[in-house]
Amino acid sequence: MAFLARALRQSNSRLSSRCPAVAASCRWISPTAAAGSPEAGAAVAPADPEMPPPREPVGGARVELPPNPEDALEVFVDGHTVRIPKGFTVLQACEVAGVDIPRFCYHSRLSIAGNCRMCLVEVEKSPKPVASCAMPALPGMKIKTNTPVAKKAREGVMEFLLMNHPLDCPICDQGGECDLQDQSMAFGADRGRFTEMKRSVVDKNLGPLVKTVMTRCIQCTRCVRFATEVAGVQDLGMLGRGSGEEIGTYVEKLMTSELSGNVIDICPVGALTSKPFAFKARNWELKGTETIDVTDAVGSNIRVDSRGPEVMRIVPRINEDINEEWISDKTRFCYDGLKRQRLNDPMIRGPDGRFKAVTWRDALTVVAEVLHQVKPEEITGVAGKLSDAESMMALKDFVNRMGSDKVLCEGNGPNPPADLRSNYLMNTGIAGLEKADVFLLVGTQPRVEAAMVNARIQKTVRATQAKVGYIGPPADFNYDHEHLGTGPQTLVEIAEGQHPFCSALQSAKNPVIIAGAGLFEREDQDALFSRIETIAKKFNVTRPDWNGLNVLLLHAAQAAALDLGLVANPAESIKSAKFLYLMGADDISLDKLPEDAFVVYQGHHGDKAVYRANVILPSSAFSEKEGTYENTEGCTQWTIPAVPTVGDARDDWKIIRALSEVAGAQLPYNSLSAVRDRISTVAPNLLHVDERELPTISSEVKPPAKQQMSSAPFKTVVENFYMTDAITRASKIMAQCSATLLKK
Amino acid sequence: MAAVVRGVLRGIKEKGLANFLREARDEGYLNCLLDGNLLQTKIHNIGATLVGVDKFGNKYYEKLHDTQYGRHRWVEYAEKGRYNASQVPPEWHGWLHHITDNTGDQLLAQKTARYLVEHKQNYSGEGEELIYHSKGHALNPGQRDWTRYQPWEPKKEQA
Repeated sequence: MAFLARALRQSNSRLSSRCPAVAASCRWISPTAAAGSPEAGAAVAPADPEMPPPREPVGGARVELPPNPEDALEVFVDGHTVRIPKGFTVLQACEVAGVDIPRFCYHSRLSIAGNCRMCLVEVEKSPKPVASCAMPALPGMKIKTNTPVAKKAREGVMEFLLMNHPLDCPICDQGGECDLQDQSMAFGADRGRFTEMKRSVVDKNLGPLVKTVMTRCIQCTRCVRFATEVAGVQDLGMLGRGSGEEIGTYVEKLMTSELSGNVIDICPVGALTSKPFAFKARNWELKGTETIDVTDAVGSNIRVDSRGPEVMRIVPRINEDINEEWISDKTRFCYDGLKRQRLNDPMIRGPDGRFKAVTWRDALTVVAEVLHQVKPEEITGVAGKLSDAESMMALKDFVNRMGSDKVLCEGNGPNPPADLRSNYLMNTGIAGLEKADVFLLVGTQPRVEAAMVNARIQKTVRATQAKVGYIGPPADFNYDHEHLGTGPQTLVEIAEGQHPFCSALQSAKNPVIIAGAGLFEREDQDALFSRIETIAKKFNVTRPDWNGLNVLLLHAAQAAALDLGLVANPAESIKSAKFLYLMGADDISLDKLPEDAFVVYQGHHGDKAVYRANVILPSSAFSEKEGTYENTEGCTQWTIPAVPTVGDARDDWKIIRALSEVAGAQLPYNSLSAVRDRISTVAPNLLHVDERELPTISSEVKPPAKQQMSSAPFKTVVENFYMTDAITRASKIMAQCSATLLKK
Repeated sequence: MAAVVRGVLRGIKEKGLANFLREARDEGYLNCLLDGNLLQTKIHNIGATLVGVDKFGNKYYEKLHDTQYGRHRWVEYAEKGRYNASQVPPEWHGWLHHITDNTGDQLLAQKTARYLVEHKQNYSGEGEELIYHSKGHALNPGQRDWTRYQPWEPKKEQA
């Protein structure tokens, strides 16, 4: 019940925050949409009994008309008047009128190709049916979508499309979610007249992620447009003419984009399908769970499709402010890592150095005994990069109760800027990057650190020719950029106004500076950030109406950890630790750890750190628990459990709560809501799901840094995009990707 | 009766007493004394044609004259103690039940048997381990593994 209530609260907050109008008029599934809501039917009495009543816009969308009435125009769709902004196409006008036009090549986020001809409609006084996706709506246009002409046109187009389409729906992975299948049922003829041989096309090898069956391709060119416009790689193209036309890479070449998995979603037929998912399941067998991704700090919205206890695939969910409708390949294909190398039993390392599976009671007793033997200041807790806020809160409370303040989150460096929230968040917001006209990337390579942020920058650069300056080690970008330098020296030059890039910053209206979280790991990060703030001040990057000073975080746990105050110095804490509690922390350096230190590893994968552990406590992965994560722009989101936990594993915060009881320092919460109540006293923003809280204090209150800046160049932060955490390192698909797709 | 005694005496003379007794036991003559069905079968066998013997050793008899029609084919089970009808393999079943006139040997010669499962008698009541269990059955020794994840093995690649 509590879960239901929470889900309701969450959906309420989401609805009320984004689209209050939609929440009020819920869209009903019925042949005539207005029939579902009685008041709508009562208000609009159809004048003509023959004519169906007007409908709601497709998908419950809202249309914002421009304030100036001259910028809006009026068209007639199936006899109903529709007011639309200028520049809308006929297809968009029909959507506003609630008529869903069939289409294959048209995609709202890609450029218009107009080559599938499925969206033909009749327009009065036009000699032929028009392709509605490519035709701009003109004032007074009379559009007819269900006349015999339009129906016959669709039927004819469908017959041509099916002519060369193989009849292999029973063995096609797209079966059940195929646009061609659905639309041929709705708009196609009941028989075909084609008796000749069907054309066949050689399959292309696009790498380990995308499976191609090119004979099924209907040449909509969505994938080609996606690759060039969104992914920013010119890998795909169209070859040949007429019946010899085919999509390909021209020369045999793998698709090396980090967004390549999205072509699987946008392909309307089964020509491009997921290779790891091939022949694994049908879409109607799957249970979808709407959750978020934790493999990077973006927090992409995803749907985890599961069958029984198994995650079968991950697909994106639309969130205009974060990931639009794309996700990175790491997000999409890391799921097989959730099934490998899992820790499923509590284990204790015996005197012979071998692990033995034990019961929870025994494991917790052993840990509690050791805990009482060490001095309080020798206790250290480290949260991993995938930890949720609840478990980090529990870990911090527990370590504090044991008398130590050494609790930290990996990746946050020796002295994280946790005092002011705006100092470690992406203040512009991911969607806000689209307004920027000059980017300065400092020590960050967003393409591998946060692929969705990179997609936004790419989109902006493509749309407005925004300039991008980059300071850091040589890197591979998928948009035009200027490599300004490799180290702090360049920052000094820009701050002093001697660098040629200064003129671009000077003339920019909305400049954006993005500093990478990799800088946190440097000893001189205070000096670096104060220098970056100098630049921001000099070029008017932070104004009351525009905050362009950003930090791009690397890990899902980072923002919440800084909010909750897990800020101890890792090097010192580890050097002095006799009792080290690793909560999924695999990437922290344990070289300095004393030999006789007792290490507890609590996590879901047997990755790097388990080999040093004395006790292993199995916990649940992000697909199995309810947890709060804060993304790099400070937006709080929840994961929802999609599959049950494996073996004897438990939720992270529950393990710590149980351990605290065994150790005699019981934490005062027994339920998730109680943990969240505790969080609300520390960082209330972590309870405001799907909201971004604007920074209230400006960074000017920060004391000036006394550190000296070192001249060491910035280092590459993410060496391997495909393997960054315990889940992706356990994944076979990710291993394949890093073997074949990474540029050596 | 005299013929039977004479036959027994001749047998003892030819094979010796020990051999004769062993053979009599193997052939089920000792069981006959307590088992009327078997005794009747043995008596029935006198003067009948032995049509064939299957791979389990069951003997199939036929007697076309001097028997009631419909009772002219029968089997003498190889198993003299706990015999039952499921010991008849499928190829002989048809012949025995007058479904076909082809004997089991003829049917075997016709049919390719490469995908057939070896005939097994019904072991109900003979012990759980002998009984057939479907693949999802709790008592099936070769049960399917429904674990959908691969656990971390501490022994592997441990330093």
